[in-house]
Amino acid sequence: MLELLLNAAINGVLLGGVLALLAFGMNLIFGVVKIIHMAYGQCVMLGLYFIYTLAVPLGLPLILACIISLPLMGIVGIALQGLVISPLLTAKANPLTQLLALAGLTIVFENLAQVIWGADLRGINVQLPVIHFGSIFLRTSNLIAFVGALLTLLGLYMFLNRTYLGLAIRSIAQDLDSARLMGINPRAVYYLTMAAGGILTALIAAFFSPIYAVHPHFGGSFTMMAFIIVVLGGMGNLLGGFIGAFIIGIVTSLSAALTSTEIADILALVIFIAVILVRPQGLLGIRVTK
Amino acid sequence: MLEIQNLNVYYGEFQVLFNVSLRVSEGETVITVGPNGAGKSTLLKTISGLLQARSGTITFLGKPIEHLPAHEIVELGITHVPEGGRLFPQLSVYENLKVGSYLKRARSEAAATLKEIYRLFPILDERKKQLADTMSGGERQMLAIARCLMSRPRLILLDEPSSGLAPRVVTRVLEFVHQIKAQGYAILMVEQNVRKALRLSDRAYLMESGRVHKEGNQQSFLEDPYIRKAYIGL
Repeated sequence: MLELLLNAAINGVLLGGVLALLAFGMNLIFGVVKIIHMAYGQCVMLGLYFIYTLAVPLGLPLILACIISLPLMGIVGIALQGLVISPLLTAKANPLTQLLALAGLTIVFENLAQVIWGADLRGINVQLPVIHFGSIFLRTSNLIAFVGALLTLLGLYMFLNRTYLGLAIRSIAQDLDSARLMGINPRAVYYLTMAAGGILTALIAAFFSPIYAVHPHFGGSFTMMAFIIVVLGGMGNLLGGFIGAFIIGIVTSLSAALTSTEIADILALVIFIAVILVRPQGLLGIRVTK
Repeated sequence: MLEIQNLNVYYGEFQVLFNVSLRVSEGETVITVGPNGAGKSTLLKTISGLLQARSGTITFLGKPIEHLPAHEIVELGITHVPEGGRLFPQLSVYENLKVGSYLKRARSEAAATLKEIYRLFPILDERKKQLADTMSGGERQMLAIARCLMSRPRLILLDEPSSGLAPRVVTRVLEFVHQIKAQGYAILMVEQNVRKALRLSDRAYLMESGRVHKEGNQQSFLEDPYIRKAYIGL
């Protein structure tokens, strides 16, 4: 029993790393573009299909397929900004309209995937070895995903803190008009953020590719998970999201081991509702008084 | 340097500025006097591109700028310190200054400009790691002005730099404005402390209900009976 829990907890931490990356992308887009990207998990799904198509029917090596999918998803991000988000911002659409438009996008993505790739599970047949540490067993694929996600987050942290462009992104998130007065072009930063957000989904898809087989409704639960984490940590708060990801990762992994995955999803949503009731600004969020 | 002619600005269908004309010459300090709601802040926002005029022209160094977006106007050398400073609260003092030098042409000189600013405002050097949010009102205003200097401007638009500050701090902030003026920058300032601000200025405009009612040099404003009665309180 103890071994089961220990294994579940470790797997929860490993999952938390990838979830942190997912939540980071959604948080960044929310902070900068001020849009809740409700189709973010669906973008991961699309990324997985790209990798699958390049690696299986086209027969490219998996690594190469992953690398090619990065710019492809970047382009998807730019297209989303140009075709969906930019018109919403120009029309000064209210938040509900924005949310509905992005929710509609999930249906577009899921049905598009079904038309192109069908409803069957599509996976890459890669078996990576399992490492044993006494009674603890770790799947190499999960370990790669965890380390890869953490390194990516570290890189993004350095980018946001050390470069002018990163500073521009953080400025826009805090005060749009002030940022414009500093000579920052918000349109350019929006496109850049959405491209980066898209590339992140491809990266997550790459980490997931040896772990999961993809199907058209693969993304929904990840969108939900990312959204729960973002709210839990405080919307737009990157550190809060990071902590929230590990909380959700460990809680769902433990409860899945003790009960079932369905109960785990319920528990994640219960946490979500509890946070909204007790601390609407999230763990590290700042209460907006204006 | 800056030439504004017949500017008309609306918020939706509500007209805020009516045929406003104004100019600022190289190295000159100009102050705009007027009651709340006269359109003084609107005027500054229209110059810096945060708002778009419906008609009229704004020319800066011979170039029409009324249709340019805000980030391109900064590029030309106009910087705008909005009311209250509008710092980035969750960035450190140093980071706020660094964003100030975001422009390509300012980046290469950022280190030198920063040194110069730390010399002018030593307190910013001492507090550089602190979040902007944790500074006092007067320090924030100084940081906001310093941040705008980082862009290496020619003309500085100052919107009520003394707003919400204690009288003792107001004097200090206006002293800083005086130091900046001495460095040769052109300044267009909106200020409620009319008497103190007029002393700094070379010329002044009186704005009421969105219209320019009077233009003149420092002396003519300080001696005008209406301005003395309504704005200086003598």
